[in-house]
Amino acid sequence: MRLPAESQTNAPYVPVKARRLGLGFWLPMGWITLIVGVALLAPVLPLKDPTDYFIRSGERPPYPPSADHWFGTDQDARDMFSRIISGARVSLAVGFMSIAISFAVGGTLGMVAGLVRGWFDRLTSFLFLVLLSFPGLVLVILIIALIDRSVLTISVTLAVAGIAPVGRLARAATLSFAEREFVTAARTLGARNSRILFRELLPNVVIPMGALVLLGVAAAIVAEGGLAFLGLSLEKGVTWGKLIRNGAGTRVLRDSPWVAFGPITVMFLTIASLNYIGDYLRDFFNVREAGLER
Amino acid sequence: MRFWGLRVGMLIALLLAVSMLTFGAMNLLGDPLFNILGPIAGDTENPENIAKIQAAEEQYYLDRPLPERYVRWLGDFVTGDFGVRFSASGQPPVSEVIKERLPRTLALAGMGMAFTLAIGIPWGVWSGSRSETARDRLSTGVAFGFVAIPNFALAVVLYYVVGIRLNWLPFRFDAGAPFWQRMHQLVLPALTLALTGSAVYQRLLRTDMITTLQEDFILMARAKGLSRRHILLRHALRPSLFSVVTLFGINAGAIFGGALIVELVFGIPGVGSLFVESIFREDFPVVLALVMILTAGFVVMNFAVDILYSVIDPRVRQ
Amino acid sequence: MTRRQTPLLSVRDLKVVFPTPIGMVHAVDGVSFDLEAGQSMGIVGESGSGKTVTAKTLMNLLPSYALVDGSVNFDGRDLRSLAAERKADKHLWGVEISMVFQDPMTSLNPVKKVGEQIAESMRYHLGHTRKAARREAGDLLEQVGIPEPGRRLDEYPHQLSGGLRQRVVIAAALACEPRLLIADEPTTSLDVTVQKHILDLLDDLRAARGMSMILVTHDLGVVKGRTDEVMVMYAGRTMEEAPTEEVFSRQGHPYTEALIETIPKINSTSHTRLVPIPGQPPVTTSPPTGCPFADRCRYATDLCVAQGPPLTPLGNGHHVACHTPVGTPAAETALAANAALGHTATGLEIHQSGVPIGAVIGGPGEQN
Repeated sequence: MRLPAESQTNAPYVPVKARRLGLGFWLPMGWITLIVGVALLAPVLPLKDPTDYFIRSGERPPYPPSADHWFGTDQDARDMFSRIISGARVSLAVGFMSIAISFAVGGTLGMVAGLVRGWFDRLTSFLFLVLLSFPGLVLVILIIALIDRSVLTISVTLAVAGIAPVGRLARAATLSFAEREFVTAARTLGARNSRILFRELLPNVVIPMGALVLLGVAAAIVAEGGLAFLGLSLEKGVTWGKLIRNGAGTRVLRDSPWVAFGPITVMFLTIASLNYIGDYLRDFFNVREAGLER
Repeated sequence: MRFWGLRVGMLIALLLAVSMLTFGAMNLLGDPLFNILGPIAGDTENPENIAKIQAAEEQYYLDRPLPERYVRWLGDFVTGDFGVRFSASGQPPVSEVIKERLPRTLALAGMGMAFTLAIGIPWGVWSGSRSETARDRLSTGVAFGFVAIPNFALAVVLYYVVGIRLNWLPFRFDAGAPFWQRMHQLVLPALTLALTGSAVYQRLLRTDMITTLQEDFILMARAKGLSRRHILLRHALRPSLFSVVTLFGINAGAIFGGALIVELVFGIPGVGSLFVESIFREDFPVVLALVMILTAGFVVMNFAVDILYSVIDPRVRQ
Repeated sequence: MTRRQTPLLSVRDLKVVFPTPIGMVHAVDGVSFDLEAGQSMGIVGESGSGKTVTAKTLMNLLPSYALVDGSVNFDGRDLRSLAAERKADKHLWGVEISMVFQDPMTSLNPVKKVGEQIAESMRYHLGHTRKAARREAGDLLEQVGIPEPGRRLDEYPHQLSGGLRQRVVIAAALACEPRLLIADEPTTSLDVTVQKHILDLLDDLRAARGMSMILVTHDLGVVKGRTDEVMVMYAGRTMEEAPTEEVFSRQGHPYTEALIETIPKINSTSHTRLVPIPGQPPVTTSPPTGCPFADRCRYATDLCVAQGPPLTPLGNGHHVACHTPVGTPAAETALAANAALGHTATGLEIHQSGVPIGAVIGGPGEQN
């Protein structure tokens, strides 16, 4: 077993990681562009109707992938390719929407808490802690079960679940900045808190937090997928989780695995790409749990 | 002592807040009467239905103000009485059902966590000590892959590959089978839970190890002539354990949450599948009780993690 | 210093090269010296002179990509081949040769008790039981002058002051009774008052144990009156090796002369300007063919630029790597010639008095 190079002060050579954007970066970027582009343009693309049944006489569905159906069909002879794209539209939309809300609300709460401190900080921190006490999707499932399963409700509920982690990060980032000299300087010059918030903190905290957006979207898509898989997501419409659930029955899986593996592959590639780019951005801006470092 | 008093107080406050939130959500957002009686709940004309409504209200204290109902419920809950099921009157009370199902989930979660640690930690240490080699790059890629795949998708994939195609492990749970066989059946589901988590551990531990191995005290340990293995395990690992312990708390939550899905895929009659079933049946006493149990368990686990912190790092104690 | 028996440590033409993205860095470019048993030697040089890398080479602490050439013999054993072997003697480093590092705060493991860190080598190398090792650790703490050793054993590094921490590090280094102790800038991170105590401690311990010691430092003041010999390094090479008093009274190498000049003297008049050495140490990716100090040397001749001077004896155990050692006729001639010309063979401007321009802030020779 070998130990890598020891402390920097002594070793003059540290293997330098290529900061350049090589293939490893553009590949996931390309995929994201592709999937988002296709999802947005779906209505005008020459795709088959995802709700249409393409039954062939003499053969029982599901039909394996062919030139006609790139991803095959499901048990009801619906074209998987177009269904996956429909699923992309919804999954991506829910993902982006919920993250947008999470970051807006959680980010603001966290930043204000970090700046103002005092009782507001204690209250919001406790609130975050309470929200974070619910493991996994438990809270989300509970709320959805109590209200309804519309796109809005699901997005908002997922957003609520995301407020606490985002809020905590925003608070930590704000704290590490608020203690720096330039904020103290602004204060001594008589700047009010709101001014400090906008002029000093916002650019320094928001931009790095933005690096986390992609990671958040990935997490939201996974969460929605989990809900859909359990049968608790949108009532109408197609999402990736629903498609996977549809293909996950023992018999379907054994005899026609493409029904599940098509959406699984697409979902995996999307999540992986989002994670990869998100990781890259996070490293670039050096955002850590304890705050920001430059 | 004060240190602990504060912590325990926080723990209790948290649990109370969680229970209030859950109870409140269920009674304010939902309509318990509707859940119990169905469409007749809103009936104000039919005397027979009205009688049923009144009976239900009495039985479930629905005519009392919310805070009183909360306190009543809390009192019952803490003593282990989770009430009766909405959906199936005459059936065993909620506590019975939960008691029957909980051990399976605990076994699953326990196994899952054990696998996570057993896979993730050695993997992380190994790659941390061999960073930048070809094998390390490969394993980093693999870890990344595991993190990117959602647990339900992974469950399906493993179910397919290991259960159906390779037929290595049984993939159906049989509640009637003898103990060891049941444990055997839990291996695949536990593995599903564990793989994602272990990849997260690996990534974190690897980074931590690389950082720690560049510290001066590692240099000093090498100067002492200690073997590489000794240094890795006795010096480098310990400071890296912080992240592991933190992750343990977070991972526990993921495992609890993931259990819902895994139980469904593999047909395990545990608390997770009960939760999902009860949601569909709108059987709220069950849901309420389960949310409380799962959440309380998670909160207590995080508390234990806190305690573990102060054991590992003496600096925290001060 | 006459050489009576085979030296304990013998280094010949040591070269250490690191491949880096900007080129091959020649950290050590031909270092040779001997160290007798019981003797102490100071290795003096500025940052980048290669002194720490030399120390690390002796301790087998170089990173795996380092390229090493030359010979290092310890007590008749070839250290380089021992280091290369996987199954080599596991009980050489840490036992017979030991090292003390610069910053005691970072050299000690923050989450391990102090006693444990001292006892560790004894248990690992000597097979002591936990109890025995603990007792010994307590003894060692006493020997290094830590009050209440019994209590200290169970404390953590952050609970001790800097000076105490360094004593702990020394105790740990001495645990297995090494024959050679290497101390790399052991006092640089400490308060000035503590520095003297630590250095005195090292002296006492050395005398009591008959241990050899190598003291690596950038500060000539640290070695004065303490070490038997001094080796001055520059740009990875040995410039001068001499008994300590000679280094201060009769410097041989122009670099050493310049170093001594930079030390502020306590009996100077007030407002005496400091005397730095003009120029910068060379970039070690392209070692010059001639003498590496030529650019900054007031005596530099064409020969100095063309040919790297070998280490030549001046008598009395004094070796110099210079074509024009200070005080020799060759040096006087060279200096006179350069002063007359106004610059050296490398273009360094020289004032008439012989002092390099830029060597004194505010003008050559001005002392007001």
